Amino acid sequence: MGKRKGAHEGSVDVKKVVRERYGEIARTSQSCCAPPKGPTCGCGAAPAGISRAVGYSEEELKSLPEGADLGLGCGNPVALASLKRGETVVDLGSGAGIDCFLAAEKVGPAGKVIGVDMTPDMLDKARGNARKGRRKNVEFRLGEIENLPVADASADAVISNCVINLSTDKERVFREVFRVLRPGGRLMVSDIVLKAPLPPAVLESVDAYVGCIAGAALRRQYLAAIRAAGFRDLRVLGETAYPIDLTDGAVRSFLEQVPIGMDELRKVASTIISIKVEAKKPLK
Amino acid sequence: MKILCCPACRGDLSLEPVREDGREVLEGTLHCSKCKRSYPVRDGIPDLLLG
Repeated sequence: MGKRKGAHEGSVDVKKVVRERYGEIARTSQSCCAPPKGPTCGCGAAPAGISRAVGYSEEELKSLPEGADLGLGCGNPVALASLKRGETVVDLGSGAGIDCFLAAEKVGPAGKVIGVDMTPDMLDKARGNARKGRRKNVEFRLGEIENLPVADASADAVISNCVINLSTDKERVFREVFRVLRPGGRLMVSDIVLKAPLPPAVLESVDAYVGCIAGAALRRQYLAAIRAAGFRDLRVLGETAYPIDLTDGAVRSFLEQVPIGMDELRKVASTIISIKVEAKKPLK
Repeated sequence: MKILCCPACRGDLSLEPVREDGREVLEGTLHCSKCKRSYPVRDGIPDLLLG
């Protein structure tokens, strides 16, 4: 993705900040990836509202254990993943577990879902939710998506929902996904990417990073990283403008911290898109 | 356990249970057979973060 100057230059520090912020969200059940005074996925609404807006059905949301949906996603990979009974699925950045629980329904008792997240508070929450829902085919592991604690060629599908943008080494994440997939296995990811580079002021903001924006890669670089990992049959299944609400309070406080004007922010917002991508690991 | 591996060297992990609840290990340690690292299991969740 190339070297960029900014908040994410020191990847360890960014990782720490991301973990702390998302831990705080898990503990307080905030409804957005935005930290209290930060930016902004533009989602000021309650979690279920956000999740419906990004494509989860009423039925799916009703089937979840209470508290599994924190409204942090930017799209629903499970709807795309065409998961089959008996499959093994790995969810990168599983958070409070929404996609894991939905995937678990799809793969059934003969299948298995493994959620990996680096935020202990999120996993505590996910585990509590698993107990509430009495799900037996879901497991959670504290781990990094750049160093997956998952054996080679053990998964049929890897899903991820608005998470890889937070990684400072996306190429490595895709290589890891490729490694853990069985030949013929598939990656189904939904994420935030950029159509044009961000202005330096936004790029340097740690708050923008944890709000899923400053860490996002350019669309073509993101897709190139997937191909470079060895994936084939790459398809972009959907692309939507990312809903940044310029009237939202979080956006306003972000503007106070980041020295850019409303016009420029509007321009920035128009370059941010949510993308859904499918790719396959070749059989040979 | 078959799906789990050491995040550092991809070696096989073996589980040493300390506290169990029926079929689930609540507390314990995972040992890597290859690089000899060990990882704690707390409240049923393996901690496989590196450093």
